[in-house]
Amino acid sequence: MTRSIPAPRRPGPPDLGAYVRAAAEAGELVVQPRMGMARPEEMAAGVTAVARLPERTVATVTLDSYTRVGDHAAATAAVRAGRPLNGFPLVAHGPRVGARVAGAAGPATPVQVRHGSADPIAIFRTMTAAGLYTSEGGPVSYCLPYGRTPLAESVAAWRDGTRLLAEESRAAGTGAHLESFGGCLLGQLCPPSLLVAVSVLECLFFVQNGITSVSLSYAQQTHAGQDAEALTALRRLADELLPPDVDRHLVLYTYMGVFPRTAPGARLLLARSAELAVRGGAERLIVKTETEAHRIPTVEENLTALRNAAEQARRTRLEPAGPPVDGGEVLAEARALVTAVLSLSDNVGTALLRAFRRGLLDVPYCLHPDNRGAARGVIAEDGRLRWADLGAMPLLSAGRRTTPVTSDRLSLMLRRVAEQHDAAARQAAPEGRHEPGAQPEPGARPEPAAGAGNGTGSEQRPAPLRVALIGVGPRGLSVLERLAARCLEQPLARPVEIHAIDPYQAGAGRIWRQSQSPHFLMNTPAREVTMFSGPGDDGPARPGAGPTLAEWWAAADPENADPDGYAPRVVYGRYLSHVFDRIVAALPVGLTVQRVPARVLSADRIPDEDGGTRAHRLRLDRGDVLTVDRVVLATGHPSNDLDGPQRDRAAFAAGSATVRYINGDSAGEMPLKDIPPGASVGILGMGLTFYDILVELTQGRGGRFAPDGPDGLRYLPSGREPRIFPASRSGVPLLARGVNQKPPLHRYRARLFTPERMGAVRARGGVDFHAAVLPWLMAEVNLVLLATRIRTAAGDAVIGEAAVGAAAAADFTERATAALADADTPLLEPLSRLAAEYGVDPTVLADFDTLARPFRGKRFCTAAEFRTALTDWLRADLADARLGNADGPLKAACDVLRDVRQTIRSVVDFGGLTPESQRRFLTEFNPLAALISTGPPAVRSEQFLALLDAGILEPVGPQAVFRSDGTAGRFTVESLQVDSSRVGLDALVDARVPGTDLRTDRNPLIRGLLADGTIRTFVNSWEGHAYDTGGLASTDSPFHPIRADGAVERSMHVIGILSEHTRWFTQVGSGRPGSWGSFTRDADAIAGALLDGAMLEPTPLAAKAGTR
Amino acid sequence: MAQSAAPQLLRPVPQAAPADGRRVLLTTGSSDAHTWNLVHLQLFLEEHGHSVLNLGPCVPEELLVDTARLTMPDLVVFSSVNGHGHLDGLRAVRALRAEADTRGIPMVAGGLLGISPEGAEQRRAELLEAGFDGVHPDGTGPEVLLERLAELIPLAALDPAGPARTERVAA
Ligand code: B12
Repeated sequence: MTRSIPAPRRPGPPDLGAYVRAAAEAGELVVQPRMGMARPEEMAAGVTAVARLPERTVATVTLDSYTRVGDHAAATAAVRAGRPLNGFPLVAHGPRVGARVAGAAGPATPVQVRHGSADPIAIFRTMTAAGLYTSEGGPVSYCLPYGRTPLAESVAAWRDGTRLLAEESRAAGTGAHLESFGGCLLGQLCPPSLLVAVSVLECLFFVQNGITSVSLSYAQQTHAGQDAEALTALRRLADELLPPDVDRHLVLYTYMGVFPRTAPGARLLLARSAELAVRGGAERLIVKTETEAHRIPTVEENLTALRNAAEQARRTRLEPAGPPVDGGEVLAEARALVTAVLSLSDNVGTALLRAFRRGLLDVPYCLHPDNRGAARGVIAEDGRLRWADLGAMPLLSAGRRTTPVTSDRLSLMLRRVAEQHDAAARQAAPEGRHEPGAQPEPGARPEPAAGAGNGTGSEQRPAPLRVALIGVGPRGLSVLERLAARCLEQPLARPVEIHAIDPYQAGAGRIWRQSQSPHFLMNTPAREVTMFSGPGDDGPARPGAGPTLAEWWAAADPENADPDGYAPRVVYGRYLSHVFDRIVAALPVGLTVQRVPARVLSADRIPDEDGGTRAHRLRLDRGDVLTVDRVVLATGHPSNDLDGPQRDRAAFAAGSATVRYINGDSAGEMPLKDIPPGASVGILGMGLTFYDILVELTQGRGGRFAPDGPDGLRYLPSGREPRIFPASRSGVPLLARGVNQKPPLHRYRARLFTPERMGAVRARGGVDFHAAVLPWLMAEVNLVLLATRIRTAAGDAVIGEAAVGAAAAADFTERATAALADADTPLLEPLSRLAAEYGVDPTVLADFDTLARPFRGKRFCTAAEFRTALTDWLRADLADARLGNADGPLKAACDVLRDVRQTIRSVVDFGGLTPESQRRFLTEFNPLAALISTGPPAVRSEQFLALLDAGILEPVGPQAVFRSDGTAGRFTVESLQVDSSRVGLDALVDARVPGTDLRTDRNPLIRGLLADGTIRTFVNSWEGHAYDTGGLASTDSPFHPIRADGAVERSMHVIGILSEHTRWFTQVGSGRPGSWGSFTRDADAIAGALLDGAMLEPTPLAAKAGTR
Repeated sequence: MAQSAAPQLLRPVPQAAPADGRRVLLTTGSSDAHTWNLVHLQLFLEEHGHSVLNLGPCVPEELLVDTARLTMPDLVVFSSVNGHGHLDGLRAVRALRAEADTRGIPMVAGGLLGISPEGAEQRRAELLEAGFDGVHPDGTGPEVLLERLAELIPLAALDPAGPARTERVAA
């Protein structure tokens, strides 16, 4: 019903959040009734009576069931006919009457509207028109327990309703407050962790939709101790997850299930809830009356309950406080649930929907069609609520299977609290001194203990070693390949079962999966890529012997393959799947591989049935649990929480109908199709992902590169391209890779930057990279630069056996090496002097900055001027690249960085540098090294130039700044070094791949392991300084995680990007043919360690605390 | 461990011989969100050999009538506890009786039908008048339903062709 009467703008009731805060500071519990009558006079009288109580009260207007389900006609009809309703029909009465009723509370008492509607918009409209901004509910908690409205509709309606409330309150110059009903749900038999989780998630939902003051609810359950844990958990999670400036408090509900039938029993239960509120730190309590079990209470009965509760709270406060309660299992479970849900989407509403669809949240006994209904809660022997069945929820606490819940058993559980309190009250315990919360019922049956599992195998055969490979991209695959290859060589003493877990294609994983643009190229020449740890032979491809990517490609797709070039990523994906299939096809006896297309949500450890080793339990998103003995973490590229600026940008775009923001990820994950033709799109970052985006927005949209442009290529547009404005700190793209001139098996042998020299540096401890390592690296780079100049200057003239140039270069190299060999710190000056003797350009490369940041300190008057300079620079770089990575002096020099990666790792990995030096290494050297040595093939630079020429690509300039322009409703970007370079953008794409940081990783498994201390971040500490790198701390080979308590987690291994920062440059997605590089060696070390377990009897691991 | 979409607890644990089993349509008021009563009643009836179709919370009259027409249950049990049972119950039974197809299906009510004990007799009279075959006083347990179901002659058995089902089975 809509009313045109203007809203009465009298001063509304005081703000609930502030009122509760003031009471809490004064050390008093706020008490509040559940109260609703149909007639305005009665309702107003009730509100006044509550407000007049000497206690700190909040007045309640509870709405009737017709209004809740949106049947305002039925409500109006009932009011007209004078029929009784179970609450106040606010919408039917309209805002004027509503304002009058609420006004009856007077100026000092807040008034809250409580309803139970999955679509609160009409109610909120009426409320705001009446000057009321305090209410309760939530998209889940007012949907699932309250009817049959589809959850998706409820989420949408609550989103709009919440925003409406927030906006209207702001317009009225006051604040809105929302309380989540998530802590109650169906009122009974729901284990507390789910209640806590929903409460927290709903408050996050409110906040995301503009509310700045919230309360988190929890309803008293069956066990006082567990309830106290729940309140602690609720507080902890709220503080962790809600933005700090959001006002919050905890509200406890007196028991919401079947209530004691006797008045003394009811009073007792109420008193216990008041105790719990005080002990558990809830600031507000919503009471129940003595008549709860029978009928709607009168005002007088409500007042009595409020007085009694406040009285009990005061008494409890005088008693000595117990020790602080920790969140226990409730906290761990609730955190697992919340994390799993939040990992599903940035949008909490969407995340909640997905969570219910997948059964990650599942309310026990709830009949709503959108609730999976597979979970069940029971009251355990000790009186606590426990999971009897988890359905698909990502928790581990319930191994037990219970007898089916019969009507008798259900009825017993539902009545348990009521009967306990009726009985306790009958025995006339003096008020205020009760037995603690829940006594085991004398006749209660213990739950059957955890069963299932494969406890009863045949005694003769040794139990298999069960290994979970979590993540089966190249890294996971490499471990599998080495495992299988080793088993082919040496028979197993014990069967080994591998569970290859990846929701994407096994082998390829997410990054290399086949559903991505065919235009995305690999970054390593196909000839230098293999996933087999040995070369192919005459036999079939099998673990340890198989084709390189180039060999396989040429055979698999002879028409299109370009084995000498760079393969599309989809091709590599196909190769990886092929390798996986080959391995599985050629498994040795005793080794089995189970493919598990699922995501692991959480992991914990349980004692085995036979009391032996503590196995790992992995809960999968498809609902089942895997029990394994060993775990290999190979989860690869992370997906992280947005950082501050990213969140702001996402919020800005979310609040706009036209502007788009696409967050950093691998380009295959980005919804680039959403960017309309002709739109101006800014791209933040000009690395490899930028190139992927670039081809997708051009070639991917039908454009073509023809081989006749000024710089090699010309772009023929399709007309569907957007205008592309890339920008980054340096303003230039990655340097192109020199055309490959080195055979696949080529290995460079360093002269100055030798493993031995760096080994000695490392041995001294506490290394400063920039002082002790970088100078040697620069010396090596310049050695190659100058030697190449010398070699190529002489041309191909040949005298006798050797080429003249090569001989001169060798001579130079010997002398230069000798000249610097004994230096403490090598200087470049002697190299330069020496080179001059050979008649070549003796200019050295003093640092990498000059190469990677060519425009540092330069100013440009116009964007055109910058682009001309950029074009010249790119052409020069391309010319260098075309000279090749052996014959081009500059590219040969840059290639050194790739060639000596392993030596750099040997100094840097596992805490080789001091904390401060590691920080500098990661923030300064690492990006430079990437710019110089990880660049794309030269063809990408040609394409860049062609797109520049076609006017599609308009680079912004160095030191680019992106802003959200509220007035224009667009993003903008400008370069601080290019005058009037500012452009408005319709879309902004963050093209930076998220880096490793466990603290913001969104993978629920990683979060869970971090939270329970199974893994931790690598904190580099040295002489009182510390630097938290965010990478996963592990031992050296075979790479066991280090637990939070410092012990070594020997039943786990970690490989690849998760351990970045602990180790350097782990983003390597392929092995190299020829002698093993670290990619294959790491995998082999892990495979070896795993198989050790298959040879020996398993030993208890818990006792072995390791050291670093 | 196959998981059906339907809640697990709704799987029957029959104790009586299915031959005596009756088909029950379990419903509640269009404004009533309470479901524990429905869950319990369903389990209870199923355990006694009856099959139950549980319509869940907040059942609109049309849904009730449509489902009744499709399934032709032996009995409709209207269970409401939110205090609107007499209002919602009147609407529900009138809708069922208004359709020729469903007019003859027996229907009983129980739970907590008003918001207070006052006027219980009047409510009961009104509900019976509107077409309920039985209205159980607030607080009556589910056991009485067993007797009623035992007395029922399944309509389908009475008249397998079943064109005109106007006569009611005495309550
Ligand atoms: C749990 C509960 C809730 C939960 C329900 C969640 C859910 N989805 O089920 C929540 C918190 C959401 C809730 C909400 C509300 N509730 Co409520 N709720 C209860 C509570 C505490 C327990 C009910 C229960 O679970 N019983 C267990 C089951 C197994 O027992 P039962 O319901 O009595 O049903 C048995 C018998 O009645 C009988 N029976 C039932 N139907 C029939 C039919 C026949 C034919 C027969 C023979 C027998 C029979 O058999 C059943 C099974 O054993 C009761 C109070 C109490 N009893 O302690 C209040 C109560 C039922 N709720 C009440 C009200 C008013 C509401 C609200 C309107 C809020 C408000 N104004 O306070 C909303 C309803 C919104 C709506 N649209 O309907 C009132 C009803 C008042 C009345 N009838 O006079 C009660 C009595 C509380 C009170 N004193 O105010 N509620």
